Amino acid sequence: MKIAVVSARLHEAGTVGGAETLLYAFALDAVRLGHEVDLLCTCATDHRTWENSQPPGVFARDGMTVRRFPVDSRDIGRFARLQIDLSRGWRLSRDEQEEWLRQGVNSTPLVEWLRSGKGGYDRVITGPYLFGLVAEVCRAVPDKVLLAPCFHDEVFARVEALHDAFRGIRGFLFNTDPERELAHRLMPGLSPKVEAVVAMGIEPFEVSKTAFARRTGITAPYVIYSGRREEGKGTPILIDFLNAYRRRTGRDVHLVLTGSGDVALPPSLAPAVHDLGFVSEEEKREAMAGAVAFVHPSVNESLSIVVLESWLARTPVLVHAKGVVLKWQCESSCGGLWFKSYPEFEEELTTLLDDPGTAAKLAEQGRRYVLRRYAPDAVRERFRAALEA
Amino acid sequence: MTTERQTAPAISIGADGIDVHALVERILDTVADKRAAGVYDDEVVARAERNNLLLLQDDAQFMEQYLACLRQIVPVDINDFDIVERRGALAPVLVRLKKAIWKLLKFYTYRLWSQQNQTNAVLLAAIEIMQRRHKAEISELNERVEALEKLVKG
Repeated sequence: MKIAVVSARLHEAGTVGGAETLLYAFALDAVRLGHEVDLLCTCATDHRTWENSQPPGVFARDGMTVRRFPVDSRDIGRFARLQIDLSRGWRLSRDEQEEWLRQGVNSTPLVEWLRSGKGGYDRVITGPYLFGLVAEVCRAVPDKVLLAPCFHDEVFARVEALHDAFRGIRGFLFNTDPERELAHRLMPGLSPKVEAVVAMGIEPFEVSKTAFARRTGITAPYVIYSGRREEGKGTPILIDFLNAYRRRTGRDVHLVLTGSGDVALPPSLAPAVHDLGFVSEEEKREAMAGAVAFVHPSVNESLSIVVLESWLARTPVLVHAKGVVLKWQCESSCGGLWFKSYPEFEEELTTLLDDPGTAAKLAEQGRRYVLRRYAPDAVRERFRAALEA
Repeated sequence: MTTERQTAPAISIGADGIDVHALVERILDTVADKRAAGVYDDEVVARAERNNLLLLQDDAQFMEQYLACLRQIVPVDINDFDIVERRGALAPVLVRLKKAIWKLLKFYTYRLWSQQNQTNAVLLAAIEIMQRRHKAEISELNERVEALEKLVKG
């Protein structure tokens, strides 16, 4: 089979988002399954400006052919205005929706390449759902497209122009069951040929629980969060809750952060926060392994890889109950607890701190779940079935 | 069509396993008991919920939680406070200066914030009254709907 994977940006470790990482993992899996793979991407590397910072061209990488196409020129001001209107929950007219998609990231040469049929592709895999480029790919070769939408329950997912573009495609590669259920809620009557929950494989690892403390000298019990720090990820809630926990209980629980983004810390919490910024995978895993819990208060996730990694590091997780996918991950694995308010957070964190046996069992249940569901072989098998369906 | 259900728990709960639903339920019971006992009637808790409340606006218990937080933080603290200074050698002088400034401003801030506190209290009372009325109205409507449904079913 000849497969095209369309990703807005070429995957470079640590520089692209989760969806682009997922698409690259699909491309690698397709190569491992013996397929001929073209990775089609744009010349852009910055997801804010989408400027053509790399030259167009064709080159080989990781057993696949990478074809890089220039991004169309765009009116960023117009895009921003429409994006803000959407974010406010305002309804855009059909023309405005199309305009929003056009002024987002697009590449006419890439879409024309697909439309021309010169690549001879049997399947075209693309995502995530909210790029103009992705909508255009779906319109260009609908019967070949397998979309990895990475849907979140947010205003952008309710744009009808996107729904129309997705209705006729071959199928979907979802990350979780809740994501698939969300797709059906958003697009009633959806009946694609392929509707698979595939997700991303994670290589199992073993890591020492004490290595982080030895290396950094941080001996106080701590909770950890890894990833972007921003409002949408619930970082302010984590800061507020941990600050309140320390003040109310008098317990010296610290917070370790890895990843990027500014975070406003109250003076009383600042001395107990260790912001490590970007760290190596090994360092991140060591930090996870030493934590009392991985806390993820985001309510907009389509699958949390860091939660899966945390379980592999034998650390239980605490998530926000309003985060449908994260709560589902905890329910499916029995590897974590969920809270909806500060008092619940306080009780759950205290349980994990005071009852290490329970914490260890939760973590072990999570680890067993990841090994079973997200082992690379298991994921590749689900992917193969979706490709061949 | 390729579909695979993932909703079943990854493990069966046995003697060694932990049922997270049961554990969360137990924790919720503990929270409910402590809430009833006033353990969380605390300004620190109310302030901790400020960002979280935005996520709960569609929740059935949102108004109750919102009002519980509001009750804790609605009065602005207008009392005297400890005046401290960390800048080493200058600290005694700066503390005396700050105390003098506070003495001059105290009357005016007291007047300003006591009026604000009156406004806050009235607003809180109004919201609580509206909430009680809405609850009573909804409960009455539910009873009427139930009665009508019974009537229709015969």
